[in-house]
Amino acid sequence: MDATPHATPTTSSHAPPDHRHALAFRHVGKRFGRADGTSLEVLRDVSFDVPAGSVVSILGPSGSGKSTLLNMAAGLLTPDEGRVLVLGHETSGTVDWSRLGYMFQDDRLLPWRSALGNVALALEAGSIGSRERRSRAEHELARVGLTDFAGAYPHQLSGGMRSRVALARSLVTEPDILLMDEPFSRLDAQTRTTMHHELLRIHRERAMSIVFVTHDVEEAVILADHIVMLSPRPGRVHAETTVTLPHPRLGTPQAQALVADLRAAIAGLSSDWVI
Amino acid sequence: MRAPADTAGTPATSRTGLALRRTGLLLLLIALWWAASLATAPYVLPSPDRVAQRLVTLAASGDLVANLLTTLSRVLAGFALAVVIGVPGGILLGSNRTLGAFFEPVLPVMNTVSSAIWAIFAIIWFGLSPLTPIFVVLMTALPLIITNVWQGTQAVNADYVELAQTLRFSRLKTLLKIYVPSILPYFFSGARLAFGFGWRVSLVAETLGASSGVGYRLRQASDLIQTDQVFAWTIAQIAMMVVIEIGLLAPLERHLFRWRRDVRS
Repeated sequence: MDATPHATPTTSSHAPPDHRHALAFRHVGKRFGRADGTSLEVLRDVSFDVPAGSVVSILGPSGSGKSTLLNMAAGLLTPDEGRVLVLGHETSGTVDWSRLGYMFQDDRLLPWRSALGNVALALEAGSIGSRERRSRAEHELARVGLTDFAGAYPHQLSGGMRSRVALARSLVTEPDILLMDEPFSRLDAQTRTTMHHELLRIHRERAMSIVFVTHDVEEAVILADHIVMLSPRPGRVHAETTVTLPHPRLGTPQAQALVADLRAAIAGLSSDWVI
Repeated sequence: MRAPADTAGTPATSRTGLALRRTGLLLLLIALWWAASLATAPYVLPSPDRVAQRLVTLAASGDLVANLLTTLSRVLAGFALAVVIGVPGGILLGSNRTLGAFFEPVLPVMNTVSSAIWAIFAIIWFGLSPLTPIFVVLMTALPLIITNVWQGTQAVNADYVELAQTLRFSRLKTLLKIYVPSILPYFFSGARLAFGFGWRVSLVAETLGASSGVGYRLRQASDLIQTDQVFAWTIAQIAMMVVIEIGLLAPLERHLFRWRRDVRS
């Protein structure tokens, strides 16, 4: 879609769509109903922006509503209070969802499809022809270095390779925003570091915003331009930090100092920190 | 990373060994049969060579192939009807919990009804017609297919459905690209079972209520005490099932489920 902000019905809002922000959360609140009739408040008055082209990490303990925020941005959940804007458009209105990519905590590859078939899956929602799907999927697999494994089935691939296939699947649609829900948390430390490099390289090559949910302070510092720290349930924005350190950051004294600072900030929350 | 290389040398030799063992078993059974036939009257237990001669004459007259094809076409018709009704039925029952819970007792009850009872009902309703064996095959195959497809719908991974949601798949695309491949292994094992059962009960139905087909010819031969013919038809129908199994179903299964770890080895 072109940047035509007035094409969308934004009757409820007075503010014009803002395209400097890939994503914007405005006073977002969310409750989930429970089986016993009560409700659980998971998010309260959360506001922050994801500037276009940046990597924003949402850092928080389990139960702080990180994934809920991501699912709202993906349009899978609607906020009870406040608004979520995707590329300047309300998620309750018309959003071109093909401009978003989503990467899950598990690789979530379909076991009956080859690596190539799994990547091509992301192109099958629309009306793209099978030859174009195939060539784009091949191209994307090549970019993550898996050309030789295009025909392999998921069970024949290592954890790192599966993660690359999942990454290729979320990138093959050339999204403007990539939503990532702790995507590397199940990998071993060494593979995770490789995937961090890969992700930062991909981010340099494309005009793309990344929202990266994690509970790992070091991972947030290594990847993010901007860190949004959530408090335990109900999740609120506890602190926001902009990281200007040059890449690669892993093991540098400045990054280590920042990790220590953030850990200290978390320790201040420890009385109600829920793991 | 692909095919495990360490077993590359063994399959050919083990396959030859298996073929030798199977041939040995077959020869042993024929030898036992032949020995037993020496001590009994031909109308009780005809000798293997007598049955073989009968098979040759039946084949030469075209009788053998015609009746096998007649029975097979009836099995296929009943089976196809069971698939057409059973697959949507199983999906419906699996996707709607209220409906599923309501109809759940019907299937085990249907399974307890003997095929002879279905055959008798069929004769009352359809008389001596091809519809009789088709109906019996349908009623036998249907609960098996419904049950398996039903189980398959419940085994669909909710995570894959969520993936389809993030990819903005329509309901139809989610059905075709997530549900169908997830259900396929369950459907296949149900269909295989249903086909085997269907073939067996079709013979029962044909002996009771048809004027052609392998079952009818078996009954005819037994009425005339042509025991060699009974044996010939029995061997012919076993051979046909073995050919279908080895030549069609096993390779199809290997192809469809080649993505599975266990099938490859």
